[in-house]
Amino acid sequence: MDQGEAILILGPSGCGKSTLTLCLNGLIPHTIGGEMTGQVLIAGRSTRETSVGELARQVGIVFQDPESQFCTLTVEDEVAFGLENLGLPQGRMGERIEAALAQVGLAGEQATRLDRLSGGMKQRLALACLLAMQPQILVLDEPTSNLDPQGSREFFPTLEGLRRHRTILIIEHKLDELIHLVDRVLILSPEGKILAQGEPRQVFADEALRLEEYGIWLPQVAELALRLGITPLPLMVDEAAAALAGRPYDSRAVMPERTTGKPPGKPAIEVKDLDFTYPNGTVALRGASLTVAEGDFFALLGPNGSGKTTLANLVINILRPPPGRVRVLGHDVTEMSIYELTQAVGYVFQNPEHQFVADTVYDEMAYSLRARGVEEEAIRERVEPLLAGFGLMPYARINPFALSQGQKRRLSVATMLVVGQRILILDEPTFGQDRLTARRLMERLQALNAVGVTVIIITHDMRLVAEYARQVAVLLDGRVVYQGPAKDLYHDEELLGRTNLAPPPLYELSRRLKERGAPAFPDLMTVDEFCLVFGNEGAHASF
Amino acid sequence: MRLFEYYERESFLHRLNPMAKLVAIAVLIGALTPAFDPLTPVVFLLLIVAVMWILGRIPIFYILRALLPFWAVALSFIVFNAFLYNVGRVEHPTVLFTWGSLMVTQEGIEAGFSLGIRAVCIVCTSILFIMTTDPTEFALSLIHQARIPYRFGYAILVSYRFMPMLQTEYDIIRAAHRVRGVGGRAGLKGKYHELKRYAIPLLASAIRKSERVAIAMDSKAFGALPQRTYYRTVRLRATDWFFLVAVILCTVAILLTLWRLGFLRGYGFVPQ
Repeated sequence: MDQGEAILILGPSGCGKSTLTLCLNGLIPHTIGGEMTGQVLIAGRSTRETSVGELARQVGIVFQDPESQFCTLTVEDEVAFGLENLGLPQGRMGERIEAALAQVGLAGEQATRLDRLSGGMKQRLALACLLAMQPQILVLDEPTSNLDPQGSREFFPTLEGLRRHRTILIIEHKLDELIHLVDRVLILSPEGKILAQGEPRQVFADEALRLEEYGIWLPQVAELALRLGITPLPLMVDEAAAALAGRPYDSRAVMPERTTGKPPGKPAIEVKDLDFTYPNGTVALRGASLTVAEGDFFALLGPNGSGKTTLANLVINILRPPPGRVRVLGHDVTEMSIYELTQAVGYVFQNPEHQFVADTVYDEMAYSLRARGVEEEAIRERVEPLLAGFGLMPYARINPFALSQGQKRRLSVATMLVVGQRILILDEPTFGQDRLTARRLMERLQALNAVGVTVIIITHDMRLVAEYARQVAVLLDGRVVYQGPAKDLYHDEELLGRTNLAPPPLYELSRRLKERGAPAFPDLMTVDEFCLVFGNEGAHASF
Repeated sequence: MRLFEYYERESFLHRLNPMAKLVAIAVLIGALTPAFDPLTPVVFLLLIVAVMWILGRIPIFYILRALLPFWAVALSFIVFNAFLYNVGRVEHPTVLFTWGSLMVTQEGIEAGFSLGIRAVCIVCTSILFIMTTDPTEFALSLIHQARIPYRFGYAILVSYRFMPMLQTEYDIIRAAHRVRGVGGRAGLKGKYHELKRYAIPLLASAIRKSERVAIAMDSKAFGALPQRTYYRTVRLRATDWFFLVAVILCTVAILLTLWRLGFLRGYGFVPQ
């Protein structure tokens, strides 16, 4: 890497991206055990011959999890921590801390306690801690993967200011907001070898198939351009709009059924004027109301702390709602037994490990059925097809904790289907998953939805919403501020601003095309929709 | 507001060096332990609560609420001693009433009361320390004044950060298991299974978190250089010494007064 260069590293999960980062600051081979051949040179000096303390002055890493990279309790102590380790004289720390905090937009937050910071603020603080140590090289290991869209949008602009002044190496999945900062892309194979590297446009165009195979996310407009065969590949919305302007399109292309508004069906879940205050006094819901129709594919949106998870917990009676406010399939949840409720609603928690109760994958699946007194033979008949369907058959005898993250997630969904619930609630189902696993999971949910299962996802991923959800509800400060089709939500710019939701890039693209003199251009959100509109031979209008 | 947690506030007690507070608490507990009469622990309890309230500016309501479960413990001491204390200790116990072969004696009740209030006193000093001590300053004073290696000092800080996270996680796991339809099985065996089911995911996540934080700390050159500097310093100041002396004088004065008035018992002699 050249000085001042910004490199993006892509690769399937488990290909060694994080291991590479730890080689750069000398933790490998100095503190973490293992066998290392070859060498890493930082500014011409081998990491083998440089101490970790010396390397920390040159290379700083921001890690993925904002919760577990801090070791003190307040902002200034945390920034000071690295400086103390470097032995900086006490008198010089104050100004360094101040300068570093100002660089990431946290000026004046010195005395703030870390537990009062949002996820986005925590990641910017993590960056400030490194900036204070003044390293020439910044390494960012999936810095926004645990953040909500608001947090990511706060984070990337901070990087913009650092570009060219520092050498930046970044590992990230959310390319839409980042790609314009990157000089070079490097792709790792599942075995940890460098497959390709070069200018982003070139690499995405040349390696499209392999990227797809490895489940690596592309910028959404690049994905569209690949499908439509546009060269050179656009990476940002503006470029794509320029490339597509002038193409014939069919504004009356028939869209998939999903977008046709309200599905038929009685209410599966009804919530009326629901207030909820936690015992510690935190008000989570203030008169929230919403209705999910049976057979719907529903997305619950909203910034962190808006009450999404609280609402879901009240629906399944983990938190007790007041009587008469929450109904599931027409019954008041406060009058349903835990047995009846778990028979009706499956709930998949964000962290699959939290839900594991048995010692093997098979027993995990059989658990709920055994608890209901089902015969072993009947259990086998139910469990085996599900295990096979979720690709878990080879692991039936191993401990659930020994599975990979993707497999754990699949198992947690499968265990929720075994009883045959008619309503399925999933908290961040694609969180931390690559494109391939995420898509497979969503296709399974779609298949379930097609046979009548009501699917509710709690998510931050607007791309997911655009591609799969039929109805959405948006929570803000404990109130439902919007319920209806996803598209109408995007029309309401005032609401989008208030809730910090950003429409997916492709929706932006369709708006941009409209502005470029194609007033009849429909509002589109997915690659498939664009392909329908542009791919139809009988296009009747053009730019 | 969580009890048993640092209560952020500007006060005399909050400004004191944590080590000075610890030594003062040790003096109080040391003075209390050999006293067996009912009045001495009550006087000390009132003193500790008053200090917390006036010098620590902790609302009296919080102190009482934090102590709530410990009154029950104190009561159990009283009941237990009321029945079982007398045997062989006192020559002519004052029997209040008998119940089968059990005798309830005044001496027993007094001893139980003394023991119970002493327990409440000790709990109360811990609450005083926790509520008025900034954990960061505590860790720093362990490093600077108690001279423990700084690695341990930071270990304490990190665990302080992790504790609420583990509590949250425990709540989530319990909820997650309820959703699986896991009913609380009764009996010891059921409890054992429940504990095992919660322990594995909790441990898995705690280990992962601590590995991550260790890597993050090492990446910032923690312990990599022989010399480490400190942004915040915690010193022993004149007020700390003054406070310590005051606590010792006060303790001696209270004990002497109670002795002169004939209330103090214990301390190796049992005046009849």
